[in-house]
Amino acid sequence: MSKLVLSGLLLLTLLSFVSAMSLGAIDIKLSDIWQLLVSYDVTNLAQKVLLELRLPRALLAFLAGSGLAMAGLILQTVTRNPLADPYLFGVSSGASFGVVMLFALTGVQAGLVLSGAAFAGSLLAMTVLLLIAKSQLNNQVESMLLAGVALSFLFSACTSLLLYWSDPQAVTAIVFWTLGSFSRADWQTLWLPALVVLLSVSCMLLFRRTLNAMLLGDESATTLGVNVTKLRLGMLLLSSLLTAVLVAMCGGVGFVGLMIPHIVRFFLSQATTTGLLLTALSGGLFMLWVDIVARTVLENQELPVGVITAAIGSVFFLVLLVLRKRTAASM
Amino acid sequence: MNQSVQATRTMLDVQQVGLQINQSYILKDVSFNIKAGQFVGLLGPNGAGKSSLLRCIYRFIKPTRGQIKFLDAPVESYSRQEYAKQVAVVLQDVPEQFNLAVFDVVAMGLTPHKPLFSSMNHEDKSEIAMALAKVGLTHKSTQMFSSLSGGEKQRVMIARAMVQQPQLLIMDEPTSHLDVKYQIQIMELAKSLGVSVLASFHDLNLAAAISDHLLVLHDGELKAQGSPLQVLTSELLSDVFGVCAQVTQVPNAHNEQTLVPHIRYHYGYIQ
Repeated sequence: MSKLVLSGLLLLTLLSFVSAMSLGAIDIKLSDIWQLLVSYDVTNLAQKVLLELRLPRALLAFLAGSGLAMAGLILQTVTRNPLADPYLFGVSSGASFGVVMLFALTGVQAGLVLSGAAFAGSLLAMTVLLLIAKSQLNNQVESMLLAGVALSFLFSACTSLLLYWSDPQAVTAIVFWTLGSFSRADWQTLWLPALVVLLSVSCMLLFRRTLNAMLLGDESATTLGVNVTKLRLGMLLLSSLLTAVLVAMCGGVGFVGLMIPHIVRFFLSQATTTGLLLTALSGGLFMLWVDIVARTVLENQELPVGVITAAIGSVFFLVLLVLRKRTAASM
Repeated sequence: MNQSVQATRTMLDVQQVGLQINQSYILKDVSFNIKAGQFVGLLGPNGAGKSSLLRCIYRFIKPTRGQIKFLDAPVESYSRQEYAKQVAVVLQDVPEQFNLAVFDVVAMGLTPHKPLFSSMNHEDKSEIAMALAKVGLTHKSTQMFSSLSGGEKQRVMIARAMVQQPQLLIMDEPTSHLDVKYQIQIMELAKSLGVSVLASFHDLNLAAAISDHLLVLHDGELKAQGSPLQVLTSELLSDVFGVCAQVTQVPNAHNEQTLVPHIRYHYGYIQ
């Protein structure tokens, strides 16, 4: 049954990629795509659009979606907090802060340093979060969420302050970047998110048993032979790295990490390998379509991706809270 | 022959264990041992240090004094994973925020036995199916763990412990929220596994009926240990638990030849 869903989703992914390549400002017919992919012609504009704009962009959107869904799943698993998300935990804001800091101080707008700065920022956020959670052992779940929200405001304030002091041209560029977009995708930089997402998926598959063991509490996991502290730290680092690299590339795209694992978990036990792969696939698919919508809904204009995910995500979050309260009340 | 050698083998040896947290003594000089196949009941009022003692034994916390040996080797000499292959634990209750199928929870018992890359094979699956059958939950294996009743959840946790294939099963008040029927069922299930068991109890009569050996903890000290008949006396009940009770002897439900103590409480604490 779950194998069937998985293969169905894989097929859907393939179709979605084809749609992502076909839809856009220039319509490329479905029947032409194959032809354009296999035969190389320097003068063909449609081919240039397809190979140098749409394909890397679709790949980046897919990677970002599955990466953020994974980052959310990791956070949710190791903190045992179903509401955990890199965005809500302030990790994304930390990464943004790192990027904007570098941008404002040195004017660097691209490259590996950007990811490095983002990673430093997200690590800073994660460290503060862990220190706060450590001092509040009894209600870690609540305190981590509240601390995360507070942290994300703090980092946003710092980012705004930096922007206030920067020159107006830089500000425009930064603001556009914080809204989230995949327009910066190109073949030269795609390897980094691809590597990090692949690394995370393999790590999660590798450690899936011990990660699952943590779902029933630290104490229970310890009795199953899991070194809880070490595993949690490693996984939090991994999720920070994922978030940082994706934020550096695509800006502030939030709530995917919260939404996707939740939806998948609603349908099947998350302890399975299939559940893990489904989460990664659904995240990618979701983001791919969000980007298609962002590119096509307005004539000659692009909507920021972050605006769409935040709009969908926050409504989702509210519905979730209402539903949770209701189930809690009915018990 | 083999049986008698097994019976005298010391499974767990706790020597002068003490635990001190922020100047206050949680455990003081606790010593006892558990033989292979023995069912040991741990008794004591709330806050006596039962959970702390068990946590020291399953290595969630480290005692500040003394030594704990498992099969003649200090517990620290085992890696976490090796130790988890020998000692399984059923806790009072577990958090369940997530959607986990019953089957997947039982499969967690494989964790210490499986290398990182390996997937579940046919043997593992039949192991899990057998454990589920033993606790009578085969029909619920695809249901969500969170949808089960308290008694069913604890049976799932026992099935998980069975898949872990331990030599020693530790249970920290596994029946404290359960109905009487399930209290008996869970403890009898644990006894039927044939491994050494160390379980803390709330119900003294149930402890007396099930255990081969009893330990009584009071303010972090081991107040008494021995057979149920030796340990459960009306003096001890008034000293440790602060109740006035009469202890009679009744035939053991599991073995009619032997007698176990039976407590009848006196009432009228509020005039």
